Parts: sequence; C-alpha cells; structure tokens
Amino acid sequence: MVLVFAERSDDELYRQALTFARSIDPDQVHAVGINDPAGYSPDGWATALTRVTEERGPTVVVGPGTERGNEVLAHVAAVLDLPMAANCVSATPGDPLTLTRVRWGGSLLEEARLHGSPALLTVAPHAVAADEQSVEIELAPAASEAIVRVSERVETVTAGVSLADADVVVSGGRGVGSAEGFAVIEELAALLGAAVGCSRAVTSAGWRPHTDQVGQTGTRISPSLYIACGISGATQHMAGCKGAKKLMAINPDNEASIFASADYAVIGDLHEVVPAISAEIRRTRGGG
Amino acid sequence: MNILVCVKRVPLTGGKIVLTDDERAISTRHLGFTVSPHEECGVEEAVRLIEQHGGSSAVLTLGPPEAEEQLRDMMALGIDRAVHLVADGEEWDPQATANAIVDAIRSQSEPFDLILFGNESADAGNYQVAVRVAHKLGLPVVTGIKGIAVGDSQLRLEQEVPGGRDVYVIPTPAVVTVKEGLNLPRYPSVPGRLRAKRKPLDTSTPARPEPMLEMIKLTLPPDSGKQAQVLGNGADAAPAVVTVLDELGLL
Amino acid sequence: MSGTLFITRVRLLTGLVRQAAPTERSGDVPRRARNEAEIVLGQRKLLQRLGPGLMHAFIFWGFLVLAPTILIALIGVVAKDSTLPWLGHQGWYALLVDIFCVLVLGGVIAALWIRKLQKPSRFEGSHLGEADLILGLIATIVISLLLWHATRIALHLNEWPASWSPVSNALSHLFSDNQTTKVLERVFVWIHVLTILGFLAYLPRSKHLHIFVAAVNVWFGRTRAGGRLEPLKFDDPEVPEDELRFGAGLAKDLTWKQVLDTFSCTECGRCQDACPAFATGKILSPKLVIMGLRDLVLAQDTETPLVPTAVPADMVWDCVTCGACVQACPVSIEHVDHIVDLRRHLVMVESSFPAEAEPMLRDVERASNPWGKAQSERADWAAELGVRILEPGDPAPEYLYWVGCAASFDERARTSAGATARLLQSAGIDFAILGPRESCTGDPARRIGNEYVFQAFAEQNVETLNEAGVTKIVTGCPHCFNTLGNEYPDFGGTYEVIHHSELLAELVSDGRIKPSKKAGQLPITYHDSCYLARHNDVVEAPREIVSAIGKPIEMRRSRKSTFCCGAGGAHMWMEERGKAINEERVREASATGAGTLAVACPFCTVMLDDGARTAGTDLRVADVATLLSEAIDDDG
Repeated sequence: MVLVFAERSDDELYRQALTFARSIDPDQVHAVGINDPAGYSPDGWATALTRVTEERGPTVVVGPGTERGNEVLAHVAAVLDLPMAANCVSATPGDPLTLTRVRWGGSLLEEARLHGSPALLTVAPHAVAADEQSVEIELAPAASEAIVRVSERVETVTAGVSLADADVVVSGGRGVGSAEGFAVIEELAALLGAAVGCSRAVTSAGWRPHTDQVGQTGTRISPSLYIACGISGATQHMAGCKGAKKLMAINPDNEASIFASADYAVIGDLHEVVPAISAEIRRTRGGG
Repeated sequence: MNILVCVKRVPLTGGKIVLTDDERAISTRHLGFTVSPHEECGVEEAVRLIEQHGGSSAVLTLGPPEAEEQLRDMMALGIDRAVHLVADGEEWDPQATANAIVDAIRSQSEPFDLILFGNESADAGNYQVAVRVAHKLGLPVVTGIKGIAVGDSQLRLEQEVPGGRDVYVIPTPAVVTVKEGLNLPRYPSVPGRLRAKRKPLDTSTPARPEPMLEMIKLTLPPDSGKQAQVLGNGADAAPAVVTVLDELGLL
Repeated sequence: MSGTLFITRVRLLTGLVRQAAPTERSGDVPRRARNEAEIVLGQRKLLQRLGPGLMHAFIFWGFLVLAPTILIALIGVVAKDSTLPWLGHQGWYALLVDIFCVLVLGGVIAALWIRKLQKPSRFEGSHLGEADLILGLIATIVISLLLWHATRIALHLNEWPASWSPVSNALSHLFSDNQTTKVLERVFVWIHVLTILGFLAYLPRSKHLHIFVAAVNVWFGRTRAGGRLEPLKFDDPEVPEDELRFGAGLAKDLTWKQVLDTFSCTECGRCQDACPAFATGKILSPKLVIMGLRDLVLAQDTETPLVPTAVPADMVWDCVTCGACVQACPVSIEHVDHIVDLRRHLVMVESSFPAEAEPMLRDVERASNPWGKAQSERADWAAELGVRILEPGDPAPEYLYWVGCAASFDERARTSAGATARLLQSAGIDFAILGPRESCTGDPARRIGNEYVFQAFAEQNVETLNEAGVTKIVTGCPHCFNTLGNEYPDFGGTYEVIHHSELLAELVSDGRIKPSKKAGQLPITYHDSCYLARHNDVVEAPREIVSAIGKPIEMRRSRKSTFCCGAGGAHMWMEERGKAINEERVREASATGAGTLAVACPFCTVMLDDGARTAGTDLRVADVATLLSEAIDDDG
C-alpha cells in the first residue's frame, strides 16, 4: 500500500504524486493530509504523518517534490531514521526498492536502491503526468507538539507577473551586457504579458535582483513558453527552466549548448532580434 | 555567537555533463570546483552575523582531500576555523553524511548557537542532511530561508512562498538551511586569503558506513531528440517568431 | 634666503621620494642613457607635436645654453667688472647667447599664443595661471639678460667682442654711455639675478620643478616592454604579512618612481588628449590622475585614501590601459602603472570594483576562463579540424598555438582560430594546442588589479608549458601575446612568443601561403590593437598580410598612435559610461571608405563588430587570419 502525503486535491503536483504512487501499487493508494488549524509546522506535520504511517503500515510513503513535501518527508525520515529519496522520477517496488531520481536539478539521473521500509520518496515535479482520477485526502489530526511553526505571513506586492506563475517568461543572460540593456527584454515581456527572468551571471553582475533569477538555485519555472536571450545554457540554468513546455533561444553563437534543448532557435544578437520581434508584434496587432 | 556552516565541494559543470567510464561519477577532468551556491550565502551570512553580534565561526565539510581548497576559500571570507572530515573517493549517502557531521559537532569543545546548511547541495540535491542533523542534536530546524535576524536567544527567519514570505521565530540553538538570494557573498580580499592559509584546520577521517540510499549508477537524461527549428538569423527572424507566438496562442 | 627656500623645499621633495615604497629601476644603463639623450636632450617625445615641440625645445635648449649666464650674472652682480673665466670672453658663446635668447623669447611668445589664442582642450584642468607666471618669469629673465648685455656694451664694459652678439649690440644703441645707463646696467643685472633667485625659490613649489625632476624621471623610466606590469610579491619572507604592498591605497604606498612621476608633471595635457576614455566623454584624464596624486603627496597626508580623494573611482575604472598617455608624455610618466596600482589596492584589499566585473573574476578563478564556460569545451572549435591536442607526455610541437579564451569561447573570435589552424596546416607547420589544459593567461585579472589571481594562473600555465617542453608559442591574441612574452618570464616561463600575424606574414612572403590572384581588390583598413602595436611594436606584419589580400587604406590614428577599441584594462567585461570608444573608432574606420576593417585581436574583433552594428554601418570586421584564409579558399 502506498501512502501519499497531500495538501489539496486539485494541486497538480499532488495528482502527479498519485500517478507515481499508482505506478508502484496500482490498487492500493491512499492519500493523507494534515488537519492543522494553526497552520504549517514542518516537524508537527511530520510527527502526524509518522503516526499515520506507523498505524497504517504502508510499504511506500510518497510526497510531492515541493519545498514542503521534501521538508516533511525529510523530517519523517529523520524521526524514523530511515533513508529518504527526494525528487524521484520512477520507482520499482522490491526488496530493496529501486528508484531513479534527479540530480543537478534535472541534468543528471541517479539509479539507486533504497534499503529501508517503509520507503520514503518524493516525486520530482513534472516527471510524470497528473493523474486524472483523484483520491480523497483523509485528514489526520495535527500533532500537539510542534516546535517550529509559521508565525506570520508577510504579503509581498509584486509589480507585474510573478516569475514562478507566469505563462510566458522572457529572460536575459550575459549577452544583455548591462542593467540598462534589459530594457529591450522588458519591452518584449510587456507586450506578451510575460515575466522577466535572468541568468545567474546577471544577478552576480548586479544587473537584476535574485528574485528574477531562473535556475537551479533561483526560481524554477514552468511556463508555456520560455524565451532565453543571450543565455548560453549552462546546466544550472537549464535546471531552472526545463519545466517550460516550449523553449525559444536567441543567441549569436550557433554552437551554444542551449540550442540542444530548444524548440525554436534564432541565431543573432538579442539587441537586434528582440526589438525586431517587439516591432513585429506591434505591427501584427495593428497600430504600430 | 558561535556559528557553524556546513559546505560541500561541487564541480562547475558548464554546458553538458560527462560521466566517468564506470558511470558512477561525473568526469571532473578540466572542471573547476566551488562551494555549492546556497551554502556560500550561508557562509557570508555567518560572517555578517559575527561582525554584527560578535563571536566566532567555523566551516565544516565532508569531502575529499581537495575540499581543503573550499574550506580555505570560505575562511578567506572571514570564517575563523575549519573542520575537514576527509572522505574517501566514494559517495556518502545523506544518513552517513548527517551522522558524520553530528559526530564532529558533538566532539567540538563549544556548542554552536546556529548551524547553517544550504537548502540542498547542487549535485545530489537530497534535501535532508540538515533535517537529520537537527533531529540527532535535538534542535529545531527551518529550511529555505532568505532572511535571518538574530534576537535574544531566538531567530526570526523569513522563507519565500508564493505571494509573500512566511516568518518563523524559533529559539536558539537551531539549524537553518538557506537559499541563494539571502545575501550577495563578498569578494575575498587578498589579505583575507593569506590569513586563511594559516587559520586552524582540524582534519579527521571518519569511516564510511554501508549506504542506505545506495547509488547504483548515474545516467544522463534521455535526449529529448529535439531538433530546434531555426526561425532565422538576426532581426530577419522576427516575422517567423511572431508566427510561432501566434500558433502557440500567446499573441 | 632664496637658497634656503630652495633647499628646504628640495629636502622635502627628496624626502618624500626617499620614503616612498621601493621599486627596481636600475640596470639596463645603455638603454637609459639612450633615453636620456633622445627624450631629454633630443626632446623626441615633445616633438611628437611639431609646433608645441619646437616651442618647448627652443626654451629648453635655450636654458641649457644660457645656464652659464646665471653664473656670469651672479658674478656680475657682486663684481661689476668680472665674469666667468674664459667662457665669459668667448665671442661664439655671446653669439649663442643672443641667438638662444631670441629663440627662447620666440618660444615664450609661441607658448602664449597657444595658450591664449588657440586654447587647446588639453589644458582643461591644468593650472594656467601658474604657467603664465612661469612664462612671464622666463621672459623677464631673458629680456633682462639682453638689456643687461646691451647696457654693458653701451658702457663699453663688455668682456666679449660686441659684434659677436648682434641682438645685444643692436639693443645697445638704445643707451648712451652715461650715468643713467650705468644705473640701468645695475638695475638690469639685479632684475635678472633677483628674478632668477625668486624663480629658484618658486621653482620647486610649482610645476616648473620638472626642469630638474624630468631628466631624472626619464632616466628611471621603463626600459622593458611597455605592456609588462611590475609584479607584486605576496610571499616575501622578509616582509611581515601586514606590511605587504597590495598596490597603492594611501600616499605612502606609492613607489619612489611614482612619486617622482607626480613631481615631473608639467600639466601639458598631451596625455589627456591621447586618452580614448577622455575623448569619449568620461572623466578619466591621465593628467588629472597624476595631478591629484601629486597634491596628496605634497600635502604629506598619510591617512587619506588616494581613491576617491586624489583620484575619483570612476577615473580608475574608465582606463583601458591602452598606454597612449604614456606614449605621449614628454617626461616619462607612467600613468598606466599608477592606475593599475590604484586598482590593485581597491580590488585586492577593499574588494571594491564595478559589480559587473565580479562574475568575470569569479569565473577566471573557478572555471579558469573569464567566460565561465567549462574548460572541457575549450577545444570544441577545433573538433572538426584535426588539430593536434597536446596531452601530458606528448612530444613538444615546434609551435604551441595558444588560442586564448576569446577565440575558444566567443563565436565571433572563434572564426580566426579556425582560420589560423587551417592556414598553419596548409603551410605544413608543426603545431599543437593545449586544449582544456590552456587556462586563461590571467591578463583580465591582472589588468583589473587582481594580481594575486593573475600570479596563480601565471604559475600554473608556466608549469604546464615548461612540462610540455614548449619553446615557441604563436598566438592570435595580443593580450596573451603580451602576457606570455613579456610577463611570464617573471614567473619562470621564457618562450619565443610571436603573434599569428607575424608567422602568417612570414609564410606569405615565403610563398608557403599563397593568396589568390583575385585578391588585392578589396579596400581594407587595418586597426592596430594597442597591445600589439603600442605596447609591443608589432605593426608591419599585419599590414603585409593586408597588402597581400587587398588594397590597404590607413586611418589617421594608426600604428603606435592607434585609437583603442575599448576592451583593454578588463573593459571587455565592464560597462562603459558616456559615449562608446568602439563606436568612435568604427566611425573613423568607416570614414576611410573601406568596406572591411581588418584586425589582429579577438577583443578588437568583438568590440569593433559591436561598434559597427550600433553605429549602423555596413563595415565588415574580421581578423587578418580569417581574411587571409578566405583569400586562399577563393582560388581563381
């Protein structure tokens, strides 16, 4: 029996976790969430989940590979002193369970054996399709002892579209050349209602804040279209954008590694190409 | 304050990853090395907190003999001393790593008020060593932090979530994992580097237990088989681009 | 009294020089003597501008010729009827004196005309009032000398034959042999002597100090290659670590040569005129840098940081290390050394430098190249070409082709690497590349001021090259060429380093590379890169290639007077304020009417191509190797 840790039944990553769980045990998949009116507590929720696990005796416990999922499962693993494999893309039951998981933010895969029962796993986001059929989430009671709890939520007002949620993202890399150079990127983004992103070289150079950074250590995005301008395609950047459904790369170097992952390629200098695209969009929409 | 930062030596991979012949490691020939990005921000934060509140700091790594380079680099930023758990060439799984770190912490003469980790290491990305260490030491742990403020025997921590920031207030001593963006690490000065060469470095060679999460081999993700459709060269490609945008329904 | 004033001031100045940090400027005596003869006596650098040069030469040579007249006048003041033995009686000397008095006056008038009527922009920021005063004093000295001689002749007191001094003789007709003239004779000699003594006291407190210091400064000027920077020592066992010198942060960190530089400056502004940063609207003026440092040194301020008080930070970062200032300076001031030393302190001690340069510095150190790309991909450009990659233990090739980071990783610079490789192969040259074992030479780190990181790379590369048994290196990048050839010997690496244009030119003239007969029609203008032409005198070889494949057209600012492309001094990685240096140069190239701009440097390739695009010209920018390779493929 596979136990899936969940928060909301309509959450896409929960549905993906269900698909993953069904691949291990097609018949016996249960979902459990934590009923905690006081809000999120990583250790508190893990204690509750551990109790459910001990009561119900699953062979595998699966969580979504979100910040929270990884955190809660890590706590469960620490409490039970069992191994945990984060961001798996597939698993085969057995003694021991074998799995394939993600390294380097997705640029490398690891095949491993997990020597422990129950097996504790989280599912790499977008590694599998979301299950159309949901499973009702049973709510377990919160644990009374919780050391760490969120004490308040500070809302931040984002100007424009949030990078993590945007349907289209236009990013600039080293090739932009300066903070002012991003004006052409911002122009195109505005025309498309897109968010503006950047590579790590750009944040290190101080041209844009870290909140704009797309990458393994920045924001991981999954837009319908990612337009990467003047970005060569280092693995740690690609780790941040591999969730994109389509990738368009604009780069003067026809040998840049980003083209190996791109759906569409434009060979050219972004300072010439991007304004031309903006102009063409305006022309097509009519009215200059 | 007495602060410990745990770091890991990772290669700088570039545009593509190449594996060794036995497919159990990345081929690091001709690759440079660095400290995992999240962790470097942790080191910078430790140095800043000591500058503000006084005290001392240490950096620790479980890694090969070459990892001394990373320890000296971090001491060049201002960390006072280093602990090197010298690992053999093999991989250490998260539990073994956490246990070795806990043993090293317990054998320190002074307890730490704050133990910092990166949210996840750039290479293995297991997301769990810090949590395990915290449980073994009986300390509270918060992950993914982008803002730290030190109060009276407590910490106010900020974590980025969609729409804003979640705030945690926890007592010290504690374990915190941080994310890049917490701060902008300073560029080391040369006097700092020269001093770091002589700062104290404690080495020990823990024995590696059998792995519970046992890596069998590494593989490259399957080639998407994508062949990028070349829309054109330079500004002349603009009409083709707009056609694509239209087809995708994004215009 | 004047003597005391003079001496106390001189004591102060020599004290400041003596207390300054040490530097090595001995050795190479024949070269130094030649510099002294050419630059000081021959006024060679001043004559780079003919008009002002002659103006100054007349005054300077006049000073040399007239120097004994100071003694004559001093004697004459106390002993009316005496003069210098022997010389005071020589007619030919009197003639020389007269001629040079006129020349000096001519010089002074010319100087005033330049300053008051022409008003060239190089004087912006200079102390013009001081210059006027000095010119006035010189004129007074010379005129009073002539008038003194004139009155002596009129009184028949001349110790030399009057006919030998035509000017004084002519002036003497203004005076009659009478009591008034006797008084005037005393008046004029006293005016003359008092002016000289006053000048003596004023001299070391003004920029006229250069008349003593400049000659010394020229003697101690650089004799080694212009592009070589003086290394710092980080592990001197005799110097405790907290006293190590990391460049210049305070006035006391300046070396004695740097202090001497600041005392030598006459505020002529020729450096300012030559500076490409100043020419494109930035605040950097090499003149103002030296003047700023001088003022802080003379204030004997040991606490105030040089940056920003003496030199604003922007000035330090705007420099492209092209060396045009050093070339223009008539008194051998080495502005680039000053600026790099200021950068060294800022970068290595304060970690203060333009933020956009930080990724480059981190990448150079961690990834071994400023592009931050994986070294394992360094030889990808050569993948299809069958170029030999030298592995450890392989026999050394005749030539090691040092590709450089730009040509390895930048798509525009890369074409010249492929072209060079193909050309060398077609000529049957035995060469190999180091591939992933070739790290950055460290040039960008050194020029931005991180001497520590540079030295780590120098040592590493020297070890690789020495172990491989490399003796000859050919490289397409002038910065690599400069560092490998001029700077690596300081780290145990001595190789015969030639630029690819030199080797290719030789192969063309030997007939081993034969450009097609169809070539020779294309109008091509060639841009000299600073590190090749100005710092290292490689000027003709690329021109030979251009002549072999097209019709060469020269720009006005060419050869050693070339105008920078803007990438030097690590500016390839830094933002530029104000108007762009590269666009300025592209406009000049376009104006020649040529459709092709030939270069011999990967940085120039990228910068000028960028400039051509933003300036909207049709100019094609290509390396000489690329053009040569095309001229062969194009076989008619």
